[in-house]
Amino acid sequence: MRDRPSAADLIEIAREVLQQELLPRLPAEARIQGLMVANALANAEREIAAGTAPLLAELARLASHYGESMEAAGGEQLQATLARLNRRLVADIRAGRLDGDREIARHLFATSVDAVRESNPKYLKSRGIE
Amino acid sequence: MGLKAEAIKSPLAAFIAERASARTVRITALERFGGGAVQENWRVDAELDGKAEVFVMRASSGSEGVAESMSRVEEFELLAAAHAARIAVPEPLWLASDAGLIGRQFYIARFVPGVAAAHRLVRDPALGDALVTRLGEELARIHALRPGHSALAFLEMPQPTPARATIQRIRAFLDRHPTPHPALEWVLRWLELHEPPCRELVFAHRDYRTGNYLVERGELRAILDWEFSGWSDPHEDIGWFCARCWRFGSNEREAGGIGSREAFYLGYERAAGRSIERATVPYWEVMAHARWASMAIQQGARHLSGLDRSLELALTARIAPELEFEALHLIRAIEEAPRGASWRS
Repeated sequence: MRDRPSAADLIEIAREVLQQELLPRLPAEARIQGLMVANALANAEREIAAGTAPLLAELARLASHYGESMEAAGGEQLQATLARLNRRLVADIRAGRLDGDREIARHLFATSVDAVRESNPKYLKSRGIE
Repeated sequence: MGLKAEAIKSPLAAFIAERASARTVRITALERFGGGAVQENWRVDAELDGKAEVFVMRASSGSEGVAESMSRVEEFELLAAAHAARIAVPEPLWLASDAGLIGRQFYIARFVPGVAAAHRLVRDPALGDALVTRLGEELARIHALRPGHSALAFLEMPQPTPARATIQRIRAFLDRHPTPHPALEWVLRWLELHEPPCRELVFAHRDYRTGNYLVERGELRAILDWEFSGWSDPHEDIGWFCARCWRFGSNEREAGGIGSREAFYLGYERAAGRSIERATVPYWEVMAHARWASMAIQQGARHLSGLDRSLELALTARIAPELEFEALHLIRAIEEAPRGASWRS
């Protein structure tokens, strides 16, 4: 096993140093870039913290829809399985085979909420979703 | 890679001297504006035979850029047509269609002072309904240009309709993209099934929003960034301007994060002499989120391709999830609204 501090710990402390110590000292013209770096680090932190849970939930819904047994595969295999099922989903959506399908609408909404929870949780709050 | 000030200074001075018929041109300052991920905009301070003038140079980006956008040559022609129609634009002066001069195509326009930065404008308490009424009027003036205009003959007609042409373009992009986007595909399918009839084709800006116009002392000075413009349904620009994704957090002010929707509509309808179809606008707000999501994914792809590595582009891709979310949310709101009820985002 890996010892701590973990990747997540390192990114977190790096972002804190940037925000608390470096940003106030940056010249005005570099401030926007500094904020963008902080934003990138915060995004990465949230993605690491969420781990594979949202991907597994997405996979569970997709597997249930397509009647596939859900192998709780990790890493590369999880990504590949999701990509395969999502490509099938995309083809079905475009062909009109899922028009008005409430279950798929709910699935896409849930997947979308999980993605925004990582990319911009404040946005969800502004839409009344915690 | 971006252009380097030192490398372009002397060819630029020579170009201006030739076109302005000046004996001597001295460039006193050359500075790139922030923003403009697709194009590079530079402020050019110059002395022409001793007389100080300020210009803007707009150059194509180093990479291919966003597929939808046009060349600098076309943009220049279009700006000339808009200027001739008395639309508030920076006056286009000289075009360098020869990319050999500085390594890119570019054109020079007259500098217009003012603030374009959306985050500053939506937080300015002095701005409100008066400005959005003015923006509505200006949009009506743009929409008064119609197919058949000789200077705009190069613009293709959307086939078979503006909405479906956009849906097809986004799908074609997604087909070339390595990862599937089911939420965006769902939104595109909904847009395909719920397309309202397009009653007229007008010259549309297609990126008419806060961030793309200049304001000085509360007054509208110029409409910028015409690279996506083309023939469309007038409601596309209206929906784009009012879409939540272009309010920059000032969500309760539905017209561009600046003023009320009704004030914007009022300015438009008064100047256009015809009414906005209220029920059609929400459809185009869904379209706005879908199109912006696809553009955000494209920006990320530019970064990932390695041709145009940039933190800004990488972070833009991370906006796509909330745009997809908002489009799904809007669709829900539209479908749950009782028939005939007025609909608000």
